Amino acid sequence: MCGIAGVASFHSIGDRLYEGVHHLEYRGYDSCGVAFLNHDHIEVRKDVGTVDEVDGKESIRHLESYVGIAHTRWATHGKVTKENAHPHLSCRGDFAVVHNGIIANYKALREALLKSGHRFRSETDTEIIAHLIEQRFTELGDVEAALVRALTELEGSYALAMISTNEPQRIFCARHESPLIIGVGSESNYVGSDFNAFIDYTKNTVILEDGEYGILSKDSFSVKSLRTGEVLDKPVMVVPWDSELSRKGGYPHYMLKEIHEQPLAVRNALSIGSDEISAVADMMERARRVHLLGVGTTYYVALMGQYLLAMLADLDVPAMSSDEFRHLDRSDDRSLVLAISQSGETYDTVMSLRHAKERGARTAAIVNVVGSSIARMVDHVVLQGSGPEVCVVSTKAALVQMILLMRLAIELGARRGTLSAARRREYETALAALPGEIETLVNEKSGLIRAAAYRHAHVHNWLFLGRGVYYPIALESALKMKEVTYVHAEGMPGGFLKHGTLSLVDDKLYTLVFVPPPSVGELHAMTMSSVEEVKARGGFVFGLTFDAHDDIFDERLVLSATHDVTAPFLPLVAAQLLAYFTATALKRNVDKPRSLAKSVTVA
Amino acid sequence: MKALILTGGAGRTLVPFSSTRPKAMTVVAGGSLMRRTLGHLREVGVTDVTVVLGQHGDKARAAFQDGHEVGVHLSYVEQERPSGIVDAILRARGRFIPGEFFILVYGDVVTAANPFHQILQSFNSFKGPIAGVCLPGPPTQRYGNVYLSGTRIRKIVEKPSTSGLGNYVLAGIFVLPTEVFTLLEKSEGDMERVFDALTQAPGLHASIWEEGWIDVEFPWDILAANRMVMDTWEEAQISRHAIIEGNVTMTGPVRVERGSVVKAGVVLAGPCYIGRDCYVGHNALVRSYSSLGPGSMIGYGVELKNCVLFGNSKVGRLSFVGDSVIGENVDIGSGIMTINNNMDGSSVRVDVRGEVGDSGLTKLGAFMGDNVKVGAGNTLAAGTVLAPGVCVPHHATIGGGR
Repeated sequence: MCGIAGVASFHSIGDRLYEGVHHLEYRGYDSCGVAFLNHDHIEVRKDVGTVDEVDGKESIRHLESYVGIAHTRWATHGKVTKENAHPHLSCRGDFAVVHNGIIANYKALREALLKSGHRFRSETDTEIIAHLIEQRFTELGDVEAALVRALTELEGSYALAMISTNEPQRIFCARHESPLIIGVGSESNYVGSDFNAFIDYTKNTVILEDGEYGILSKDSFSVKSLRTGEVLDKPVMVVPWDSELSRKGGYPHYMLKEIHEQPLAVRNALSIGSDEISAVADMMERARRVHLLGVGTTYYVALMGQYLLAMLADLDVPAMSSDEFRHLDRSDDRSLVLAISQSGETYDTVMSLRHAKERGARTAAIVNVVGSSIARMVDHVVLQGSGPEVCVVSTKAALVQMILLMRLAIELGARRGTLSAARRREYETALAALPGEIETLVNEKSGLIRAAAYRHAHVHNWLFLGRGVYYPIALESALKMKEVTYVHAEGMPGGFLKHGTLSLVDDKLYTLVFVPPPSVGELHAMTMSSVEEVKARGGFVFGLTFDAHDDIFDERLVLSATHDVTAPFLPLVAAQLLAYFTATALKRNVDKPRSLAKSVTVA
Repeated sequence: MKALILTGGAGRTLVPFSSTRPKAMTVVAGGSLMRRTLGHLREVGVTDVTVVLGQHGDKARAAFQDGHEVGVHLSYVEQERPSGIVDAILRARGRFIPGEFFILVYGDVVTAANPFHQILQSFNSFKGPIAGVCLPGPPTQRYGNVYLSGTRIRKIVEKPSTSGLGNYVLAGIFVLPTEVFTLLEKSEGDMERVFDALTQAPGLHASIWEEGWIDVEFPWDILAANRMVMDTWEEAQISRHAIIEGNVTMTGPVRVERGSVVKAGVVLAGPCYIGRDCYVGHNALVRSYSSLGPGSMIGYGVELKNCVLFGNSKVGRLSFVGDSVIGENVDIGSGIMTINNNMDGSSVRVDVRGEVGDSGLTKLGAFMGDNVKVGAGNTLAAGTVLAPGVCVPHHATIGGGR
């Protein structure tokens, strides 16, 4: 998973290439590079490191050119080395390619090209694309025809951009199962993996689809069909996001910014038209079988949805992890698959949806990114409108997805008669109060959570315990901790303690317990009995509780909730903050943790 | 952009150091707070700096003069008696051109890294008034509680009715428009009113500072700030003009400045700091978080641990000084001992202006003001405060010709 940027302009492009690829770093950041036309040849500057590091060594910002492409890499094929960094050149150096995705048949292509006399400098699957195009250019004598021929030979997924000395005014780009969009500016045109590549310069975009390729120059662009070669009339979309919003503003990290943006994001989610929610509810009612789908954080969101639908609407809707879905998928034309994805590009989820569609299932999705693959491939999409989420670790997008699933559960509960009209109003009032509660929590508890995080930053192993609807909250909270701090945190239902886990408890294993309000009755009592079990083994227990009288804990943070139905979201926000401050205490790279990328677009 | 540093506060609780110097002239990790602030400002290109001086302000003026040594243009405004922040800022009014924005810094604030990069970045985002905010270590009642909506400061509650809140607080670093002078005039000396007015219109944005931050209010805060700064040191730096004799052991980020002599057998455990022209006698043990200001001399076999010597002080042979702060021109005889804990493990209490304050620290030694003399052989109880110029005679057990 990588980031692609490219600019063709009347004006020098160095700073824009730099900014473009810099803003895409969250997609991958182990190495980066640029290729641009320098008089009659292509110059490549690339190395291992972040965009800033490579700019320091190779000077990207100050390069002089009018046509160029750039890339930030997160290795899949081949090690992290300068040679393996993109862009890659063909043998004669007259084609340069940047690529995001995986070429499945690259070994066969490589063998064939070696036989034709091509010599490779890197271990990447990308380099073969440059050589393949060069080979076809030698045969066909036309850059566009060579590109089209080469693309038909590629198997797998790709988004790519290419420049050539044989067409020095142009950037060629194409996609298959990896995202790529074109930005239409004045006196400049752009290509990028997403809006961030050029949002500072233009908000007018054209979304490239599978089976299409684009050609852009400084004053024009065209999109053509790979199959027929005809020019397609593509609509220009205006990106609603303000570039200022996707900046840090007064925050030290995007993660903290996005945690603080949650009250606003939830308010936005509550103002999404009820017809949007109803449309999904209609689909669910018509279906014989429904699956909730997500992976990583969104799997836990789906699991939260499963609990909410069971509790509020008396519905049995299993959550499945989309990386496993294909093995279990038995859907048919009376099935509905409801997928959840922030980026709308998550590889496993895209593949699962495709699989289910092939079996005839209906599909719906909750997605944050407008125009993303999932948003376009499903029968109905609910756009969550949470604004750009830049930090690799998802906070506000995940919370909003849970809120939308709660709205769906309330809607279905009302339809099915499991919720009275009065109950429905009560729950909706509780939801309306939630943004204010989160804001109060963030304002009044941050210092307490930070102090706790710094006190416990030395802890190597955490158990995050929750029961009932607090179980998916515990799972999601533990994932936040792992993702951003690299500290081991294991989410678990309280009932699992007796099945082996208790043997791990000692004074070095810390336990964070998600305690429901006492007013929920049994669930509270059961959770507290889990606390007793851990205490009895000498474990340190940190309670996220709503009851100032629960004094069994070694340490606790007392939260206040106005209603039991929305209460579970508050300890989630507290746990996000705990993960954030633990990460800053450990001096982690908060917004770009290792081994993680924003949209996981590879298998 | 220009900057204004306030150093006029009386700092009553920073005994015994505030009776001879402004808080901004206390020393951590080898440099005064003011030197650190000026260095940070110069780093972001702010070189036109006005300093409001109060009591003992001559100390700052003598140290920095016109600022050329630290690379800034310094001018000074006098605040003869401590008459509050509002008055201090108003006195500098003439230094600023109406319509411009300026940086306002409280002189007693220490940060782990340069805060102005982020403050100016926030200013560039919002093009309006900015207040740095942070979460102080353990939540205290010392500061007003900030309430945020996004980064917009909704309100600041000075004396919250509920205790145990963990809000962001004002970090003492601001970017303000010159319109603030009008608000200051109308405030009747009440800074809270000025902030209140700013949050209403044009609006005050928070710049959230997540790295270390300490407001030096009590003498033990100096040790915490010293530790915080030294924790940011990554590598050792030994001046080529320092003389390091044989068999010296150094570990971690040790800094030794020019002209210093480190005799044989010394152990320097980083992070620690040996300023210019210091003398570290044979077999001395300088443990982590010790900072020796310029011209300090420590004799044979002295052990220092987590302590700050402002400069030009002497510690005689075979003494132990731990968890302590020593002012300038202090003369400590040989064989003295600072006790740094209570035997029951309780936190050490310190006499602050006639009131005994709980430091919250289980390890704390002594605080000695400038020009103190401590005779040989004395043992100082945990939490001892010696006022400037105090002379403690030798602890002799027998004889003498007097």
